Formats: sequence, C-alpha cells, structure tokens
Amino acid sequence: MPNAFHFRPSIALAVSMLISVLGTTCVLADTVKQTKGSFEDKFRQLDEALPTPNTWRAASGAPGHEYWQQEVDYQISATLDEANRHLSAQEFISYRNNSPDTLRYLWLQLDQNIFRSDSMAELSDDFGGLGRRGPAVQAGDSNSPARLSLNELRRQQYMADNELGYVIHSVRDGAGEDLNFTIVGTLMRVDLPEPLRSGQSFRFGIEFSFNIVEEDAISARSGYEHFPDDEREGGNDIFVIAQWFPRLAAYTDYEGWTNKEFLGRGEFTLEFGDYEVELTVPADHIVSATGELENANQVLTPTQRERLSQAETADRPVFIVTAEEALENEKEGSTETKTWRFEAENVRDFAWASSRKFIWDAKGYQQEGNVQPEVMAMSFYPKEGEPLWSKYSTEAIIHTLEVYSRFSFDYPYPTAQSVNGPVGGMEYPMITFNGPRTTLQDDGTRTYSLGVKQFLISVVIHEIGHNYYPMIVNSDERQWTWMDEGLNSFIEAIATREWDPEVDWGVEPRDITGYMASQNQTPIMTQSDSVARLGPNAYAKPTVAFDILRETIMGRELFDFAFKEYSNLWRFKRPTPADFFRTMEEASGVDLDWFWRGWFYSTDHVDISLDRVYQLRLDTENPDIDYPRLREAEEAKPGSLFVQRNEEEGIRSWVELNPDVRDFYDDNDYFTVTNKDRNSYQSYLEGLDDWEREVLERALEEDSNYYVMEFSNVGGLVMPIILELSFADGSSEQLRIPAEIWRRNAKEVRKLIVSDKQLVSVVVDPMWETADVDVENNHYPRRIIPSRVESFKSSPRGGLSGRDLMYDSTIELKSDEEDSEDTDATEEDEQ
Amino acid sequence: MRVTARAAMPLILLAALLFSINTQAHQQKAGLSHVLFNPRTGNIEVMHRFYIHDAEHAVRQIFDPKADILASAETAEQFAQYVQERFSLLDTDGSPLKLGYVGQEQDSGFIWVYQETPIPQSLSGLSVVNNILRDVWEQQSNLVNIERSGTIQSLDFSANVQWLSVSFDE
Repeated sequence: MPNAFHFRPSIALAVSMLISVLGTTCVLADTVKQTKGSFEDKFRQLDEALPTPNTWRAASGAPGHEYWQQEVDYQISATLDEANRHLSAQEFISYRNNSPDTLRYLWLQLDQNIFRSDSMAELSDDFGGLGRRGPAVQAGDSNSPARLSLNELRRQQYMADNELGYVIHSVRDGAGEDLNFTIVGTLMRVDLPEPLRSGQSFRFGIEFSFNIVEEDAISARSGYEHFPDDEREGGNDIFVIAQWFPRLAAYTDYEGWTNKEFLGRGEFTLEFGDYEVELTVPADHIVSATGELENANQVLTPTQRERLSQAETADRPVFIVTAEEALENEKEGSTETKTWRFEAENVRDFAWASSRKFIWDAKGYQQEGNVQPEVMAMSFYPKEGEPLWSKYSTEAIIHTLEVYSRFSFDYPYPTAQSVNGPVGGMEYPMITFNGPRTTLQDDGTRTYSLGVKQFLISVVIHEIGHNYYPMIVNSDERQWTWMDEGLNSFIEAIATREWDPEVDWGVEPRDITGYMASQNQTPIMTQSDSVARLGPNAYAKPTVAFDILRETIMGRELFDFAFKEYSNLWRFKRPTPADFFRTMEEASGVDLDWFWRGWFYSTDHVDISLDRVYQLRLDTENPDIDYPRLREAEEAKPGSLFVQRNEEEGIRSWVELNPDVRDFYDDNDYFTVTNKDRNSYQSYLEGLDDWEREVLERALEEDSNYYVMEFSNVGGLVMPIILELSFADGSSEQLRIPAEIWRRNAKEVRKLIVSDKQLVSVVVDPMWETADVDVENNHYPRRIIPSRVESFKSSPRGGLSGRDLMYDSTIELKSDEEDSEDTDATEEDEQ
Repeated sequence: MRVTARAAMPLILLAALLFSINTQAHQQKAGLSHVLFNPRTGNIEVMHRFYIHDAEHAVRQIFDPKADILASAETAEQFAQYVQERFSLLDTDGSPLKLGYVGQEQDSGFIWVYQETPIPQSLSGLSVVNNILRDVWEQQSNLVNIERSGTIQSLDFSANVQWLSVSFDE
C-alpha cells in the first residue's frame, strides 16, 4: 500500500507533463502543412475551418430546419432643421424575439457616435497609419516633418466646432416608463424591465437628435453638402441621411449580439422589419427615401403625380421635376414645411435624401412575375450632375435589376433609386447615393469624360446591386466585407460588360496579378476592419475568383445554378461564409474546398510553370525492330570529339592500319540481333495473356507519340492546368486538366499525353483565364516574353496610336451614342 | 459601398471609391510599380501603372483644371515627367540610380510610365522613394513589386511612409 501511494502521484505528474508537451505540439501542428516532411495538403477539406452544422445552419449550406431570425419594426417621425443642419426624431420600435433564447437586454447601434471626438474609431486612429478612412496625414520621421493636410485640419476644426454624435433624450417603454440604458461607444444597451422570452415582443420608444455632419469635411457615408454659389442667398444643401436612427443590432445564432464597435470600415448587418417613416422637411424640398411614398397627394403637385403615372409605362425616363423647375426651385427657400410619409416592408434599414436642388426622373420597370410586377426606377440629382445623370442613371438602375435578377431572384421592392449627393457610392434598401458630377466649362455648359461616364454607370450598378447583396441576402459586412462587396462586384462585372462589352471595365483575371504576386497581404477571410488594401482584397480578388470559378473551374451552367441556389436559399436570411462555401459545392457537385482554401484562406498566387516536355517511345520487345532503333538513336548522338580531331589530323588507328587482323566483332556491333534474342521474344509473346497481346499489338500498330510534361507550382495556389498543344501538322488542341492533379503533390506534377501527331509546342493558360502571374514559364519551348519596357521600345508608336484612338473615342462618347464603332476600333488596336 | 484603395482592378474598381474621400471619391488612388531586374537587357526596368481615371483627375490638380490626359499627348508627357520626379531608386549607400526615361503609353484603362537604368555591378539592396500622387491625395497608396531572379519583394507606400528598402540575398 505505501508503495502504491508512492507511485500514483508520480504517474499523475508524468501524465500531466506529457499532456502539456502534446498540447504544445498540437498548437504548432497544422493539418495542411505537416510536422515532418514538406507535404502540403492543399485539398484538405475545410472540416476544422468551418463551424459545425446545427439545426439552424445545415451541413448542406442551407438554412437549417429550425433557422430563426429576429424581426424589428420601426415607426419614426423626423424633422429636418435645414438652417441648423440638425435632425430631431422619435422612433417606436417593436422587437420580436424569434430566437430560442431569453433576452434581458437589447443592443442598438448608434452609428452617429463614430463622429464624436472620443469615439474608439477616432481615438484608435493610428496617425498616418494604414487603413484609415477620411483625410490622410503623414507622420514624420528622421527625414521629413509630419504633415497635416488642409483636409485633415478642416476635419479637426469641424469636429472641434460642432457637437457630433447622438443626443438621446429618452428611452421609454410602451407605458411611458423610462428604461435603463448604457451607451458604449457606437452601441447602446437597453435593459428590459422583464426578460423577453422566445416568441415574445417588446415595444419601446427613443427620442434622439444630432447635428448632421458635413460630408466633405468628415468623410462619412451620409451628411450634407453645401452649394455656396447657388442663387439663393446663403446657398443650398443636399442632405443624404443614413445610419441616422438608433437601429437594433442583429441577434444571431452564430455570434449572439453583433455588437462589435463601429470603427468605420466594417459596415453593418441589421434585422428585417417594416418601416413607417414621416419626414418633415422644408416645403420646397424633394425627398427620396427607402420605400413607397404614401401621401403623394399632400406633397406632390397634380402635374408631378400625372408625370409619375406616365413614367410607369414610359420607354425612357420621364421628368417628375425638370431641370428648369429644379433651377427655379433652388433660387428661393421656404419657411413652410411638408411631411413626406414613406412605408417599406421587409427591409433591413431605411435611408433618405432631401433637397430643393433635385431634378427627379423616373421610369417603370415591368419586371412581371408574381413578386413585384412593376418597379419604379428613379433618380434624383442637382444640375451639377447634368447632362450625364438624366441620360444614364435611371436606365442603369433598370439594367441592374434585369441582370441581377437573372442570377438570383426577382427584385422584391416597389422602388429602386439613385441619388446624387456628396457620397461617392453607398447603398441602402431601395436607395443609393452615387457621386459622379460633370464639369462646368467656361461657356456655361457642363461636360464629362469617358471615365466619369463609366464611373456613373458602374457605381449605379454596384450600389443598386447591393440591394441583392447584402440588403436581401443579409450577410454581415461588419465581419466579412467580401461577402457582399465581393459577390456584388462580381455580378457588377457581369452587368457592366453586358451594358457595353467593348468598354474595358478592368475586371479580368489578368488585372489582379500584380496584387496577388505582392507580399504582405491578408487573406480574403479576414475581418473587415483588419483587412489591408480593402479594394483588391475584398472587391477585386473575390470578383476574379468567382469569375474563374464560373468560366474555368465549374462552367457557367453549374456555377449559375449553384449561385442562384445560394441567393434564393438566403434571400431575406442571414448567410455566413460557411453557408456560401457549402451551398456552392452542394448544388454543383464540385468539390471546391481546395479553391476556398487557396483563394480565400491563403495569400498564395497562381504561377504554374511548364518546366519540361519529353517524348517516350514504346519498346516493341521485338529485337528486329527495337535493336535497329537503338542503333539509330546511338548513331544520332554526336561522335567523339577526340576521334573527329584525330581523323582531321590524319591519324590512323591501329585497326585501320592492320586490316588483315579481323574477327566477328569487327563486323557486328552491340545491336546485332541473334536468334537467342528472337527465341526469347517468341517466348515473351507466348507468355502473354490474350488481352495483353492484343493491347501490345494495337499499340505497336498505332505507334503513337507519348509525351510527358513536367509542371511545377511556383505560386503555391493549386489550379487547373489549361494547355494548348500545337502539333507539327499545324493543328492545335486544348486540354483542361482539373486542379485535382495536384492533390498528392502540390509542388510538381507530370502529365502523359498520347497523340498520333507530333508535338511542337505547349502553352499553359493560353487565354489568361487563371490569373497566372508569370506568363513566360507558361511556354514550352520557352518563349521570351518581352517586359513592357522592351515591347514599348521595340514599337514606341503603339502607345501613341492607342492614345489617339482613345481620344477619338472620348470625343464620340461625350456627344452621343455613335461611339460603339470607335470604341470597337480602339479595343482591337490595343490588343 | 465603394472602397478607395484598389490596387489591381481597374474600373470596377475604378469606380470605386468612395466615400472616404469626397465627391471625387471614385478614383482608385492606387498605383502599382513593377521594378524588374531584366537579365536580357541588363537593365533595371521600372514600369509604373496608374488608373487613367486617377491620372485624369490628377493632371487637373497638378497642372491645369482643364488638362485632359486622354486628349493631349503633351499632358500625358507632362504626367510622365511628374511621375519621374517623384520616384527614385537608391543603392545601399543612399546614392540615387539615374533612371532614364523610356516613355509612356495608355492601355486598357491604365497609363504606364517606363524608366530604366543599367543594373549596377554590385547591388546588395535597394531603397525606394515613391511619392507619386501622394502630394495630390494623401489617400494615395503605391504598391512597388521588386522582381529580381524570379523573386518578388513588395513595398507599400501609403500613409506616412517616406522610403522603404529591400535587401538581396546573394
């Protein structure tokens, strides 16, 4: 017994030490990169990377059979104090708890608080650091002084002079009793008087107000823009108002409350609900807002209402407020007010815009179907947007709905609007803010460049497209920017090329190679506020990734089916990256884990090199055929240099000098066939099974060429190998090898091809469809790919001619629609 | 919304921008420079790529509110001159390499500016100063990929970065 007592503790000690050692090892171990050897399992399934499926989110990527989400309805009355740029409002919120959980408090987002000088976004701003939004600065170092731009000074002064952020006047329950609330940065916790059980609802009200920020000074997603030069004394403003009322943070099955502080980059996700909103503004303002106008009789003139009904079936947009009327309107102000009443059903947010400067056009989109047969597309813009906006904005909205619905579902809302204000591009349900303006010339006309036109079309498509992702397919941009920006930019790239394929929209795989080859990247799967280089990371790279999936890896039919399935499964629901990854595989039957791993979880790039091609020839085993071939091969080799030089010098060998001494070996070489060889061939043939003999005979008869190609994966990303094989007879063939060839060795692979033709050359990825970074090692035999400098120097006129043609096309595009031929010529010449 | 810094894609991006900036927020404000040690030519070749849309707005700020880089070859050359003035390569002693001007051209939504210089006899590293367009917009970020013997090293010029260096393993 004493012995036993003596031993036990030390065993326990030993075990615990062992565990701690193992634990350390486990932390370092990686299922993809092994602890021994250099094998990398680039095809490992995403098992550990994805969350465990449950009854809310199925392993198939679909919503689970007990999927739930909350519902929040709002009634808001707001008053715009134009002179003071001040907004005051009160909202009533109905919160329905559909979760299985009991809630003791609610979290709301107070996005306006990001503008407070004590906000986390402001305090955590790394002076001169990376990733900051808004006017930039430069910190000093030993070589240079620190710099503050005038923009930054303006921002600092503006924040010092203005009280920004919310004033919360009251938070009361339905009985008018004050509720306890705690403000935490851009968030507010409201404590419930009673726990809110599953299935119960809670109604409460908030009175709040804030000073509207000057967008140009602060760089925000909303605010006012001042036009000091307008004829009206003191000028005019355009107000674009968003992220403006305390909004319920989402409560989710995957994260609980989505109460992560708003730092400015990661946008938001919210709950779906119904809105009734009353907006009281100066009587001469025109208001654009999420939803449908409910009291047109009170705020619009009979003429405007008549024009609106004409617009429903018009072929081209109809002016509800013409340019002349808007110009007249902006010359004076009004001390009266009007209240515009809007309603919106099943939206996840509400935004609006208001100004006396607005020109307003509209055109009905006959979508047909049962969901929303008619949609009113509308644009609101000041004279500073003309003549560009009236021509393209509303048409671009309708084009967006047509293209996006083909890839997803019918547009479910009654309106889709594009508003020109101070914001470069931002999306909210049914309403978007878009920035392009035209340039005032000396002669009083306004013109725009091709670049500005392209910007208008692409930004309207992009922002209207956000209605689908994430306003309806409700992904969480606070966590994953790519889930809406990447998907949306991808469909935008389809829609822009369907608008005009002759224009270079810059969305091809080749356009991302410079970024993907660079060092110091973050993977696409990085939380929004932590992404370095958000543009290429969350917009451009995912766009190219989906493009490659669709055109190269899955094919259009499988991709489109799966993508549409994803969109419909998660329409008005809340998907996570895992749901997307799973659905795309589930619906297409294509294993894509390697693709997600490479493109979304790593910073590898694509660079496949064709290192070597060699030819094999089948041995017949017949010595009368094989030996002469071997002799031929031997004779084809260059002879001995020594022997050659000796012959040149006339040095004669002993054998030559003594021809009388000869034997058998002087007349027969190593390749002489003997009967012994022939007998052994006969017994070889007799030893074969019938099927073996048939295979051999056929192969000998066909006498094909066998080529082995050796590839190495320089970039690290495993991808399909697309080959163009050129043959001596002038013909060529494409061979598409699936990425799975890399599954056992992601560094080097070989491929055998059998052809009756003689192979002359091979090119990897001839169409530049895989974003392969180094094209030179794609050719065998190697081909010199001149650098841009080399090719420029060899034909310096190429640049000049390109420039002149672009100039021609610019001129055409400015004036009218006859530009297509010129653009066409430009594209061809630039090839 | 649209985002401001786009390194690689042009117009989709091009458009991009946004709001962090202001009404002209649709530019990319992102340059990409490729510094290639080209053994074929024995030169260090520098290839600067800018979105035409960025350049279009930049020349109006730098030179003349009416400047049109698409329409005027002179403006394009002027822009190329500006690019050269704001980019330099230095050896490890801090002596600048004299970069010769090769030319500029427009291609598929981008404007390219080319420079070159003979590869020095011995070079154990390189320092880079890239202030192109950063005096115009402080949001400008410039990515420099230095490719030598098949290896790329990247330098990111944004925010307060003044100059950055790479060293070469022999």
